Order: sequence, then structure tokens, then C-alpha cells
Amino acid sequence: MVERKVKYLFPLPALLLMGIIVVFPIGYNLVMSLHEWNLAGGSGMEFIGFKNYLALLEDGRFWNSLKVTAVFTIGALGGQVIIGTLLALFFHREFKGKALVKAIFLFPIAATPVAVSLIWAMMYNYDLGIINHMFSMFGLPRLAWLASRSTVIPALIITDIWQWTPLIMLIVLASLESLPQDPFESAIVDGATNFQILRLITLPMVRPAIVVAAMIRSIDAIKTFDLIYVMTQGGPDIASENLNIYVFQKGFSYFRMGQASSLAVVLFTLVLVVNIVLSMIRSTTDSSTEA
Amino acid sequence: MKRVVVLLLLSLVMVSLVFAGGQQEAETETAEIQEGFNWQAYEGARINVIVNKHPWVELIEPKIPEFEEMTGIEVSLDIYPEDQFRTKRTVEMVSGTSVIDVFMMMPGNSLAQYETNGWVEPLNPFFNNENMVWPEYELEDFYESALGAGKRNGKNYTIPLLLETSLLAYNKKILDKYGVEVPQTMEELEEAARTIYEESNGKTYGITLRGKRASATSQWVDFLHSFGGDWLDDQGKAAIDSPEAIAATEFYGKLLREYGPRSAPSNSWYESISLFQQGEAAMIYDASVFRPNYEDPESSEIHDSVGYAVIPEGPAGRVPHISNWGLAIYSGSENKEASWLFIQWATSKAIALESQLAGIPSARASAWDSPEFKEADPSPEWTKASIRSYELASPIWNPPVINVGEARDAAGSAIVAGILGEDVEAAAKEAAKEMNSILEDE
Repeated sequence: MVERKVKYLFPLPALLLMGIIVVFPIGYNLVMSLHEWNLAGGSGMEFIGFKNYLALLEDGRFWNSLKVTAVFTIGALGGQVIIGTLLALFFHREFKGKALVKAIFLFPIAATPVAVSLIWAMMYNYDLGIINHMFSMFGLPRLAWLASRSTVIPALIITDIWQWTPLIMLIVLASLESLPQDPFESAIVDGATNFQILRLITLPMVRPAIVVAAMIRSIDAIKTFDLIYVMTQGGPDIASENLNIYVFQKGFSYFRMGQASSLAVVLFTLVLVVNIVLSMIRSTTDSSTEA
Repeated sequence: MKRVVVLLLLSLVMVSLVFAGGQQEAETETAEIQEGFNWQAYEGARINVIVNKHPWVELIEPKIPEFEEMTGIEVSLDIYPEDQFRTKRTVEMVSGTSVIDVFMMMPGNSLAQYETNGWVEPLNPFFNNENMVWPEYELEDFYESALGAGKRNGKNYTIPLLLETSLLAYNKKILDKYGVEVPQTMEELEEAARTIYEESNGKTYGITLRGKRASATSQWVDFLHSFGGDWLDDQGKAAIDSPEAIAATEFYGKLLREYGPRSAPSNSWYESISLFQQGEAAMIYDASVFRPNYEDPESSEIHDSVGYAVIPEGPAGRVPHISNWGLAIYSGSENKEASWLFIQWATSKAIALESQLAGIPSARASAWDSPEFKEADPSPEWTKASIRSYELASPIWNPPVINVGEARDAAGSAIVAGILGEDVEAAAKEAAKEMNSILEDE
């Protein structure tokens, strides 16, 4: 009897550790989100139920941050998946210096986001930035990239695409290179055109890899912080303030810990839901390719 | 000898016990007090001072042993970078068990919060106790506005260790080139900015100002006051949507939108002074402490042609603001008297003069008036404008609320709307609404 139960004992330390480092912070965050806790006022925590969440419904800045998060994530993710897949298809052939090209593509991923953001912020500078310099060389109008409501999100998306497209490309490329050759050979024998091969064989076969890559990127894109914080701090006004920046402002600029926690819970839920949806897409693609 | 004193004291105690105890005790205290001010009165105390990394701290740190020798008080000085410093200080206070005695603070930023929460010790009991005030200290030597900034609900909490204001700096070469006089009124300011921008075909900005949300409020507030507006009205409600405030915000926005850099909404002080230093903008209205940056031959292309003036006159006059770092005592400190001695030493005339000579604008008139400074003054024009600005200045700089950052962000939204040419009135109404809800919370 004892021996049978003793097996539950062994994973216990690991479970406890998990509990401490994963469950406790999330649980504490949930508890905080049900309290009014204003650090700047120096008062204690006061239980207020779901009032923080109800207040969010009427908070224009919250809806704005959701919109910014959605537009940024869709724009960045879409761009990265499309460009990354195209680049992978392009580089999926033998040529001299392929290893070097792959290594170069690793640079943006390896660079620290803060450094990348600072450099891009300089490049976007209205007066001194290289982007406007090139625009005027080609007779295009100069743009106030990070200082105008209409261009700030596209500017941030471009930077994010620059930094993270290589990740998608490398994952897709690895998948392409591990594909079995037989389907391609039989397709050629059957007289399929290149486009048909791409559309009907290559893409369906690498789809799981693309979905995995998109999943990893979507988590990051939804909770992007460093890039936006360094380049715009959510500005001009709140035009580029996504959910995570808003959480930071509420918590660490305004010291409203309860409200910040409720925002963090929303952010956490959002990431969770998007991932469940993507997992479902992944499992359907898996079964379809297996079938 | 010692024994005799002890015996005498003992008998005194006995007598006091026999007769009316309490009264006698009070009298012995008076006897002590009559000794007058004494630097060594708190010998053996140990005080913890936390400060933020700052040129003034670099100046004072090597001198602390002098203070320790003079007073017998041991000082432990902890220096933090500014952001970490603010967080550390707040966390220490919230914990309620801090061993900190003295800390640096910008009263315009934090006093409302610190006073409301009872974290700072009022200094007036010290001021009124002649045994606690060093005869050479001369409190009246501080600019009134500077001491006033550290005051709340009739009590003083901080002693200023430096005093800054905002000045209009201009590029003499550009103004000469376009025949523009130094603007004296707000209309002239706009006219000057317009002339330079238009006659240079948009190659030179007329003026540069901060436009990045919260950071823009620091100089915008001087326009607000000079146009007759204020943060709050008489009833303590947000007034940043008053007609005067809207006029000021529209004016500020128009200067930047029509004659200033397109990047304005994302410019904080750093980006703004860079444009001025590179000669891209003819004028700038920003903090007076940037003089060394404007005149640095290494980083500034215009270092030899900078002039200074006080804020141009608006419908309600010229109302710049002052801001300052000061020293305060933690209300939970167990060494308040020793802390006060340290503050007096650190903000003494001698140290004020030294910091003044090192380029840190002092809050003491004596430092500015001293022959040493007058002789060494690298920029008499800046000095003249600074002193004039101190005299005109209002100590109100940030919104008088506890949650300063949140209220500044709210007002900043209206400023950005002004710069982008959006509906200022609607944005100001929204900002006022938000500020009122912050006020209600407090």
C-alpha cells in the first residue's frame, strides 16, 4: 500500500516549486485585481470585487490599448509570416555562401531589443534620420514617423518585422529542408507546374512549422513592451500605447496596483486565448497532413 | 570634579522629586537650551542619507568627513541613479520601517504625496528654536520662491539645495540674420518664430519646445500661467479647460505645429535641446540648467552665440516657474536633530557658493551676489535672466495633486492635441475630467 502511494511523493518537490514560481504570482495577481490599492496614496488594499474590471469597460484608454495591441500584432505577425515564408522559399536552394546568409539573418534576432529600438528611433528621426533622408532623395515627402498618430504604428510594425522575420524564416527553412523528396519528384513526373507544387505540396507540408512560428511570435507581439517603450513610450499621446505599456503606466507611473493587475489579467487571458486558438489550428493542420 | 557635578545633579534630581517634579524638569531643560546653538550637541549620532546621482552630490560627497569631524555625527550616504532612487525612496516610505533619516526630493514632484502620507517632518519647529539654528545659516538668504516650493499647508518640509527655472534661449546669429529682436511678448514670440521659419523657407525652425505628453507640461505650465490659467480653480477643481488654459494650449501647439519641428509630439528635453544645439531651431524655452549644454564647444554647434531672456509677457504677465531639489527629514527618523544639523551644513552659504561656482544654480541669493561668482561668471546674460526669472517665478510647477504623473499625462494629452492641430477644447475637457477623477480619488 505504502509503496504504491510513495510514487506521488517524488514529483512533489517539482510541483511545489512550480506552485511557488508559476501559480502563486498568477494567483496573487488575480487577488490584487479584486482590490483597490493605490500606492501613491499610501493606503492599504481594499477589497472591491469586480469594480476594477467594470471600470475597464468605460475606460477609453483601455479600449484604445486593445486596438493598438490588435493592430500591432496582426500587422507585425502578418508581415513576418508572409515575408518570412517567402524568404525561406527563396533561400531553399543550394548556393554559395548559404551558411553566411543564414548567419547574417541571425543578427536581428540576436540583437537586444533596446539597442534595436534606439537605432530605429534614430533612423525615424524627422530631421536627422536616414529614412527621411532617403525619402527626400527620391522626391518623397518626409514623414514625422514616430510623432504622428497615423504613422507611428506602421513604423513600429516595420521595426518589429525587421527584427523578427528572420526567426520565422529560419523555422520555415528548417522545415522545408527536412521535407521528404518523394512527393516533389512524383509531382514533377506528373507534370505539375512550379506554382502548383508550391501551392498544393510545399505550403501544406510546411504549414505546421509556420503555425508554430506564428504562435511563438504572437505571444511576444501581444505583450510587446521594450520596443514601444524605448521608441515612443506609447506616444504621441496614447497612439501607440498597447496593453502591456498601459499596464506599466498604471502600475509603475500611477501606482494603481489594483487597476494594473486587472489589466494584466486581461493581457494574460488574451495571450492564453490566442494560443488556444492557434493550438487548435495546429492540431487540425497536423491531422490533415497526416491524413 | 566630575564626581562633584554628578553629585550635584543627583541632589538636584532628589530635590525635584521632593518638590514639584514636572516643573523642575522643564526648568533643567531650559537651562540646557540656554547654551545656544552647538554643532556638537548630537555627537555620536549616526544618520542615513539617501540621495540621487547628481552633480551636487558629487560636490558634497568628499566634504562629508569635514561635517563628521565638526559634529561627531556619523553620516552614511547612499547614492542611486535617479529612477531607482525614486522607487527606492517610495518603497522605503511605504514599508513604514525605514532607517532613513535624510533624503533628497523634488518638492514640486513629490511633496504633496509625502506630506499627505505623513512621510516628511515639518522643519518649522527647528526654524523657531534658536538653539537649533546655526547663527550664520540665514534662512532669509534663500529665494522666497525656493523655500516656498518646499511648503505645504503652511509648513516647510524641504530646504532647497539648487534652484532652476526656465528661460528663453535664442541663437543670436539666426535672430540677427533675419533682423528679429528678442521677443518681449507672446505676440512677438510668435512673430519671431514665424519670420525665421518662413524666411528660411522652413529650413530653420522658429522655436523648439517639448511636446512629449507628460514631459511637455513642465514648460507649458509657464504659458498656462502667463495666459492667466492655472491647474486648479478656486474650488480646487481642474481648470485646464478654462478659456485661458485653452488659449495657452492652442498658442503652445501653434508655435510648434506651424514654426517648430514636425517631431515635436515625440520630443522631450533631450531631443528639443539637441535641435537647438545643432542650430536647427532659433529659439528654445526650457530649463535654465541646460546652459552648459548649449554652450558646450564639444557638443553644441552654436556654443558662442546663445542669448537668454525671461519668458515673454502674456495676457497675465510673465510667469515662469522654479523647480528645485531639496533635502527633507523622514518623519520616522530617530535622529531628527542630527539630521537637521546635516541639512544646515549641506545647504550652508559656503557650500551654496561652491556649487554656484561649479555651475549648479544655487537657491541662495548670497551665492549669486558674491564677488567670487561675479568674477567667474561664464555667462552674465544667463545670470541676469535667471535672477529675474527667480523673482517673477511661481513655485507651482506640477499639478498640485498626489498622483502627479497621472495628472501630467492627462494634461499632456491636451498639449499633444494642440500640437497636432486637433480639437484642443475637447481634449482639454477630457483632460480636466480625468484630473477631477484623480482629485476625487485623493
